Parts: sequence; C-alpha cells; structure tokens
Amino acid sequence: MGCGRVGSTLALRLLREGHEVAIIDLNLASFNRLGENFAGKMVLGSGLDEETLRLAGIEHAEAFASVTNGDNRNLMAAQIAKEVFKVSRVITRLYDPIRAQVYRELGLETFCSTSIGMAIIADFFATGSNRGPALESAAATPTGAS
Amino acid sequence: MTDATKPYVIVIGGGKVGYHLSRHLIERDYEVTLVEKDRARADWLAHHLGSCCIMVGDGDEMAFLATTGIERAGVVVGATGDDEDNLVACQLAKGKFGVRRTIARVNDPLNVKVFKAVGIDVPVSATDLLMGLIEAELSGSDMVKGVAVKASGANLIDVALPALSAHVGHRVDEMNLPADELLVCIVRNGEPVVPSPEVIIEAGDELIIYSRTLDVERVRELVSGTVRRD
Repeated sequence: MGCGRVGSTLALRLLREGHEVAIIDLNLASFNRLGENFAGKMVLGSGLDEETLRLAGIEHAEAFASVTNGDNRNLMAAQIAKEVFKVSRVITRLYDPIRAQVYRELGLETFCSTSIGMAIIADFFATGSNRGPALESAAATPTGAS
Repeated sequence: MTDATKPYVIVIGGGKVGYHLSRHLIERDYEVTLVEKDRARADWLAHHLGSCCIMVGDGDEMAFLATTGIERAGVVVGATGDDEDNLVACQLAKGKFGVRRTIARVNDPLNVKVFKAVGIDVPVSATDLLMGLIEAELSGSDMVKGVAVKASGANLIDVALPALSAHVGHRVDEMNLPADELLVCIVRNGEPVVPSPEVIIEAGDELIIYSRTLDVERVRELVSGTVRRD
C-alpha cells in the first residue's frame, strides 16, 4: 500500500523475484513510477478500505507492507491486514520513531526510516563508514538515540 | 486543576464534534482537556471554552500526550475527522498510558469492525446512528428505546409494535419469545395491560420487553415477526 518511491521500488523488486504483487495508491499518477510494463496489479483506492484491499487480493496475500507517507494510515492499514484479513506477514514503515517502537511493543512489525537514516549519518560521521553499530541498533529498536 | 473527585476526560480533535462534546462535559462538571492541532482553531476554542481546557498539540505524539496528564484520565475520546488519527490516538492512550476506556469517533461506518478488532472500547459511528434513527422513522413503526436495569445487567426495551407485525391479532403466548426475552407489559391506549398468555395483541400496542441483551435490532425483528403478506 502506497506507490511512492519505497512502494514502487519494492513492488518492482518483488516482481523480479517472481512474486505476485498488487500495489494500492490513492493517486493514479503515482503508478507512473512503476514504468510502462508493470506486470503486477495496480489498484486505485484507499488501503483503509476493505473493498479496495479485497480487489488487491488481500484475502490470499501472504504478506502486506504499508509504506504511504502517513504514519497513522500505515498503522491502521497494517492492523486491518493483520487482524481482519489475517495476513501472516505484515510490516509498516513509519516516520515517527516513538510510534514505531510503541506499536512494535504492541506486536506489530514496524520500522522507522527516520531512525535508520539518522543512524547511517551518525555512523558515517563517527567512523567514516555508513555501516556501523548505530544502524544495527536503529533497525533493532526504532527509537534509537532519540 | 487536579481534582480527584472529578472524572478526567481527554478529547482529541477540536472540530464541531470535539467542541460540542467538550462544552457538554464541562457543563456537567467533568475535568476536560481538549487537544487541537491548529493554533488558530485552538484560540477560538479557548475563547469559547476557557483557556485552561485547551492544549495545542498532536494527539498522536507520545511526548505531547504525556504532558496532558493522560495517565490519570478515565476516558480518552478520539474525535477528529480522520479515522486513522482517532485509532492511533486511542491505541496510544490505552497501550502506552493505561487509559481504561477509549471512545473513538468513526467517520466511515465500515471501519467500526476494524476499531473493535484492534481493541477500541467504544467506536461511535455517527452515520450508523443516523441511519438507525432514519430507518426507524421510515419504517413508521418502532421507536425502540432501551433502559438498562442496573442491578441485573439486563434491559427494559420499549417498542411500538409495527403495524404489519405478524403478532397482531394473535395471542401473547403465540409470540414464542426466546428465553432471553420476556414480555413484561403491554401499553394499550396509554393504559398498562398485563400480558397474560391469552391476551390478543392489537395494532398500536406498545410492548415493554425485558431483555438480557440490548440488541435493539433483534428485538425489532422479534416484535415484527414475519411480515404478513395478505
């Protein structure tokens, strides 16, 4: 859910790996990011709407990722996928590190792109390498050094 | 500001719903904090409700919520126009601050199910409530009203018999009410009638039913029976 940079790149990658992919977005123009010969399913609508999710085939989906630019929207969609449609692997991208941690504690798989980005910069400043210890800890506990 | 005897309610979202709800609660002597994101709207609210009950901030930010005294709130109400914001605010209140009761305004009635599934205590859909009332008006029959009987946990439901009810012209014992429902009284032309088994039910009767559940829909079905086609 969400055909921005993360969503569109992820969809194309999963397709290349041989998966069946459906991508949902509110905005028709967003699907341009997928290029011309996208072999997956594009669904125009809100990922908070059960009908739209059904159209995307959520009832037989094995995994669901919510990666729109709205944290609350992502959280709500992820919980619909998990609790209503019983999708077994659900993950959600959040900007707010605190919400990411709280919902992880509540049992929802989350990651925080803010914490991860910040950690990469911190690692780079500290060590000159962008793959240092801060990134590891940001990925593990999204609040990181907040 | 802290008064242990007053129930403390936090209302998130200072639109029409949040404003009127807060005003009502303040009039009834609740301690209220109304949370509003927009500074200009918050100023307007402070002018109308008094500045002590308004806080400017984001009801989905943990750090901000922590400044509202949320851990001693008895109830948190998510009253914004965005379902996802109400959901997250209520989940944070419950999951992180241990608020016992969360009430969320649900703008899209289809989301009621989701809110229940993820643990919101009371999802309130204005659309559903309105539809229920309008439907009752349209069906021309039944203003169904329920009153909880506190001691037993059961309810008294007052229902005007629909004109087309299959029970009209039949005996009380032919209603075959399930074990959870008991016909307590018939009100006919404003007078109580004891519902003995042999009493014939008439059009225009009002039935007072004792029910273990407050499932108004079910009671409505029970009293209308199968609609007659003659």
